[in-house]
Amino acid sequence: MDTASERRPDTAGMLIAGVLLLIAVVIFWDTSALQLAPTYGVGPKATPYVIATGMAVLAAGNFWLSWRGDYPERESFDPKAIVLILGGLAALIAIIGLGGGFIPATAVLFAATATAFGRRAVHIDLAIGLALGFIVFLLFDKLLTLALPAGPIERLL
Amino acid sequence: MDALASLIHGLAIATQPMNMLYALIGVLLGTAVGVLPGIGPALTVALLLPITFKLDPAGSLIMFAGIYYGGMYGGSTTSILINTPGESASMVTTLEGNKMAKAGRGGPALATAAIGSFVAGTLATLGIVFLAPWLVNVAVNFGPEDYFALMCVAFITVSATFGDSPVRGLTSLCIGLTLGLVGIDKLTGQARLAFGVPDLLDGIEVTTLAVGLFALGEALYVASRRHLVEEKLEPVRGALWMTKADWSRSWKPWLRGTMFGFPIGALPAGGAEIPTFLSYSTEKRLTKHPEEFGHGAIEGVAGPEAANNASAAGTLVPLLTLGLPTSATAAMMLAGFQQYGLNPGPLLFAERPDLVWGLIASLFIANVMLLVLNLPLVGLWVRLLAIPQSWLYAGILVFATMGTIAAKPSVVELSMLAGFGVMGFLMRRFGYPIAPVVVGLILGPVAEAQLRRALQISLGDPMVLLQSPMSATLLGIALLALIAPFALNGMSRFKASED
Amino acid sequence: MSLLSRGICRGLLVAGATLLATSAFAQMEIKVIAPAAPGGGWDQTARSIQQALIAEKLVKNAQVINIAGAGGTVGLAQFVNGAKGDGNQLMVNGFVMVGAILMNKSPVSLSQITPIARITEETQVMVVPANSPIKTAKDLAELVKKDVAKVTFAGGSAGGVDHIMAALFVGAAGADASKVNYVAFSGGGESLAAILGGKVTAGISGYGEYEGQIKAGKLRAIGVTSPQRLPNADVPTFKELSIDLVLTNWRSVFGAPGISDAQKKTLAELVDKLVKSNSWKDILKQKGWDDAYLPGEPFAKFLADEQTRVGNVMKTVGLVK
Repeated sequence: MDTASERRPDTAGMLIAGVLLLIAVVIFWDTSALQLAPTYGVGPKATPYVIATGMAVLAAGNFWLSWRGDYPERESFDPKAIVLILGGLAALIAIIGLGGGFIPATAVLFAATATAFGRRAVHIDLAIGLALGFIVFLLFDKLLTLALPAGPIERLL
Repeated sequence: MDALASLIHGLAIATQPMNMLYALIGVLLGTAVGVLPGIGPALTVALLLPITFKLDPAGSLIMFAGIYYGGMYGGSTTSILINTPGESASMVTTLEGNKMAKAGRGGPALATAAIGSFVAGTLATLGIVFLAPWLVNVAVNFGPEDYFALMCVAFITVSATFGDSPVRGLTSLCIGLTLGLVGIDKLTGQARLAFGVPDLLDGIEVTTLAVGLFALGEALYVASRRHLVEEKLEPVRGALWMTKADWSRSWKPWLRGTMFGFPIGALPAGGAEIPTFLSYSTEKRLTKHPEEFGHGAIEGVAGPEAANNASAAGTLVPLLTLGLPTSATAAMMLAGFQQYGLNPGPLLFAERPDLVWGLIASLFIANVMLLVLNLPLVGLWVRLLAIPQSWLYAGILVFATMGTIAAKPSVVELSMLAGFGVMGFLMRRFGYPIAPVVVGLILGPVAEAQLRRALQISLGDPMVLLQSPMSATLLGIALLALIAPFALNGMSRFKASED
Repeated sequence: MSLLSRGICRGLLVAGATLLATSAFAQMEIKVIAPAAPGGGWDQTARSIQQALIAEKLVKNAQVINIAGAGGTVGLAQFVNGAKGDGNQLMVNGFVMVGAILMNKSPVSLSQITPIARITEETQVMVVPANSPIKTAKDLAELVKKDVAKVTFAGGSAGGVDHIMAALFVGAAGADASKVNYVAFSGGGESLAAILGGKVTAGISGYGEYEGQIKAGKLRAIGVTSPQRLPNADVPTFKELSIDLVLTNWRSVFGAPGISDAQKKTLAELVDKLVKSNSWKDILKQKGWDDAYLPGEPFAKFLADEQTRVGNVMKTVGLVK
């Protein structure tokens, strides 16, 4: 997958190895705080310790891979698209968390994602999202009694 | 043979036109709700159960069976078309199914899933008729140590999903195992890795993880690379229908999938996921087209889908013979029975054979209906992929989040979904395989709980794992499966995969 | 094809209409919160309430909302924080939540929501496989006294009603309750299989769940926890065997926190009408639940007593430090 010339230490890979090691430490730390042990058999601490050890070993393995530069080559990527989609998700979570309801939340996510995929017609996409949310809400909440979060719009239906 | 006569009588009732219509409505409704990622068959049945309250018992039971099968098939459809498993048991289907769909072979993938489900469902129904009393004895004698051994066998199969680097595959698996630790320890009631967040106490929902990693991760990845490769999906390339080669490559996986799914489904803690893992790794080992695995091999869809469906029928064995609801879906079926004042149990077959066989016949009819409904729709489903990419992914995200919103409407759960999406994106970018994470989350907690139960009962003596013949055999198989590739190929395969 | 599709449409209309066919005179739209996943006891109770409310046309509409997690404490937390002053919500909960609140160190408690009534209860039963040498609860008590570690009990999740019953039994048998060897299984099905397969010494569950097995002679019931024998079963109570163990797995409904007295009264009347309706009685019979209707003040007092008792057992068993 790589040519010899590219085999040099990969910083992102080392970062990953670091994160894995951190996870292992967190598991150790969290597990050592457990107080209750069962009267018989193996307690709740054994498995986490095994997994944490495995994770630490794999952190070393990943470090070795990145040292050899044995990582797939990464193409440039478009951070705007990522930000747009995650922004859409964050907006969806916020709208639902604040009681704005399912339909507007869906519309925002729909429009944000469509924009991330290169469409330049936010108003139309918002309208489509609203229509989609509306249909889905009627179908699932009203007809099939599946409880979806209700906001001002949904309460009118 | 009495059983067969009863089944035929049940079939006669279930095929009355009105009942057929109920089956069709049930399948439609079940599919409609089941396609939502995160809403598995159990929740689908729970949601739609009130509708069946109003019908006469026979009609209600039949609609119920339709909902059940519709809910299961709905999950596979999204796995194949939009790389979003509707429930954990159809996770494996995404591996090859979605690759097929992207290569314009979504039609054959959907068809082999539908026909495979039908074949498996039919064989498993026959299995219920003839093998139930025998199988249930085996199932009951399956102790915690035996389950642990079975999990060991299943763990070996994970390597089939590792891709090209064992280190990366194991890393993914270990992340899954870590996620599996989160939540209340079943045996002592203490919270692990929950950090005081109440939503984490019950552990991480498999569907949240799978939908986040697969659907959101994929959307983020594709969006981020759009400027490099304009991915143009062709819904149909080649035949829409299964070709002769597809048939000849599918029928054996269907049968093998059934062989995994039915008996493991009949085990009280067997579940539907493990047979799909076993089936996938078996097909990968046996295939004559190993180069296609990972790029859309039809065996990888046919086998797991058959296994999934057969295991669903398998759960009926303990339900009908012992009154044991061994899955959430089976528990919902129990609720369905109770509408008619029936308590499934050892006496049910003797007391109400008409209803039991009626149900089995209904499942059979629902299975047929599913085929009748879905095969003509394959063309339509596949056309979904012709929707412009921007709207397609926008729609996928809406439905992916909606499943979570409906199943567990909390800000924490949705944030986890988004977090797993980012994780899925990063893993794709850095070449880590996705599936082992989900496998680790599914298998890890079960393996741990069963091992600890076994050791608690034996008062800490590990020899219990070897004293049970079943456990010893399964551990032997696991060991063989682990070393066989090395022994056969003399390390060469390992070397090749490392570089 | 058109005939078929018309048929489908008609069917869908029937299905849709039956869902929406409730009369207009009862105005309330009730949300019934089940703090559990679909399929379990609380979920089934909530869905039964929904079914009876609609069948009796007591409300305009009723919806079940599942908020699963941590013995119901996740649902409780959301109910406390999200339903303040909402007189149209009912939450189903019960005995198990009392223990779960203690065990999970839940930041919210039952005292923050509005008790309406206890509605049902299930008697607990202890069973052994039919081929077990243990014939009576006395035999089992002897074994427990001899070597408490060797006697394994199978039942539901840690800290639940089954676990508490195992501890109470060991204590009542005269052994050290903190040494009880209780094996927690995740579902009724799994523990039943372990009992039938002889993997454990004895099993604990709600009587209804094992009734079929007991009647079929696959399991031997050695004792029930009700104060009197069950009317339809020839199983001795622990009490008559002079083992001090009386316990029922009760389920109750609560209103939202901070609702007005008028709202509370409305809900109490609604529940009163519900439990006295024929639809509800039919459901109880189907599900094998016992009517344990106890509204108002007496329920509040009962609740307080149970909280004390469960707390003590949890400390003994070491589930709570």
